[in-house]
Amino acid sequence: MHKTILFALVILSGLSAGALAANQVIHQQGRVFSSESVTIKKGGALTFVNDDSIPHNVMSATKGSEFNLGSQAPGMSTDVTFKETGDVQVICAIHPRMKMMVKVTD
Amino acid sequence: MSGFFPRRSTLLATAIVAAGLGAIGFASISLGAVIVGETRRIDLGQKAAPGMDAMKTQYKRPATIPFPKENPYTPEKAALGKQLYFDTRLSVSMAQSCASCHSPGFGWGDGLAVGVGHGMAKLGRHSPTIVNAAWGEIFMWDGRLATLEEQALGPIQAPGEMNMPLEQLMSRLTSIAEYKPLFAAAFPGEGMSAKTLAKAIATYERTVVSERAPFDAWIEGNEKAISEEAKRGFAVFNGKGLCSACHEGWNFTNDGFQDIGLPSKDIGRGEFVPGVIKMQHAFKTPGLREIERRSPYMHDGSLATLEAVVEHYDHGGVDRPSRSDLMKPLGLTAQEKSDLVTFMKTLTSNLSPTAVPVLPR
Repeated sequence: MHKTILFALVILSGLSAGALAANQVIHQQGRVFSSESVTIKKGGALTFVNDDSIPHNVMSATKGSEFNLGSQAPGMSTDVTFKETGDVQVICAIHPRMKMMVKVTD
Repeated sequence: MSGFFPRRSTLLATAIVAAGLGAIGFASISLGAVIVGETRRIDLGQKAAPGMDAMKTQYKRPATIPFPKENPYTPEKAALGKQLYFDTRLSVSMAQSCASCHSPGFGWGDGLAVGVGHGMAKLGRHSPTIVNAAWGEIFMWDGRLATLEEQALGPIQAPGEMNMPLEQLMSRLTSIAEYKPLFAAAFPGEGMSAKTLAKAIATYERTVVSERAPFDAWIEGNEKAISEEAKRGFAVFNGKGLCSACHEGWNFTNDGFQDIGLPSKDIGRGEFVPGVIKMQHAFKTPGLREIERRSPYMHDGSLATLEAVVEHYDHGGVDRPSRSDLMKPLGLTAQEKSDLVTFMKTLTSNLSPTAVPVLPR
């Protein structure tokens, strides 16, 4: 069983590394998202990195695609996977000038 | 070797366990169509603190006022907007104008802790200044209105403020003969409506800009424009005091929402973003231009002086989950506090007098 868990972890880490490598990274330096609009495939993920000097609060209120990363401190990174097609407006709850569109396609 | 290549049953078990671990790993917060993964720390490397010259470049005044393309500036619109802004007939009582609470005499506020509305009843929050509203990203203390045009109509209609239904207002203004040609000149082909009224008032408000202050002269290179104490205060403002994390840029705000730990029960932005902890008790960061003329301070007017404001930030306020992560005891010295206040007073300009317009009859 130990060997099984080990194998599972190896496969998982491989998958995660693969997913990580493929993710588009959204930076937040200078109180701005690094992209105004990105297009990703259904099931794909974005990596939100707070490389700014202050906390941000990435979220979406788009119906059906709501999410909230909460207060994300500088130096933290979070992956967000989008499972349904459509346009998702992503904002920082703290900083109203920070907004971007995630276009999720088939 | 036989141990290296797993048997089929092992592979199946592996897949199940992997799927299970994956589910645990990725399902930390799952709402509908979006899955939020775990948050991890990354190495951003060491960033050197910016020097004084680099900091100063962030504070240069803009050369022009931004007007939206949906409502571009014309002198006719601004002149009409000014008349409407100072016209008490915009309130149901005919006793209050926009200028009653946003008066040029008080740095475009009212000098009171909280505003006074219809029937002299006290309102819940401090009347914000309209200075530099042209650069605003979002309006009201709680950000509930998206544009200055929407904002202009808000207090007019609010039962607690000017208490004037728009239909009644337009009917009243239509009966004032001299308004009709002014609207016609400002809005050819559009005429009098709540929409054009809002556009006119917003256009006038965008022309209310803080004039050059000693701070601006210093930013532009005159080292003698402000005192050494004020320069030290500017360094504290951008450094140990963390003030510029929110009060940033030439107008000293990024229009962000923060709970700064004031004990008031008002949840502010939280009313409109109920699920977000950091938005509870959060209010929009006000700009600091003309701040010396705008006492008392904060969204509830609870602090009488700039010294009291600095003391509040040094203390850090009420520690609660919604409080901004930037709020914490700062350990400022008496000298640093005094320097900060001296610095903020360099943002006071020699505002030229505002002439009250002659109103249409």
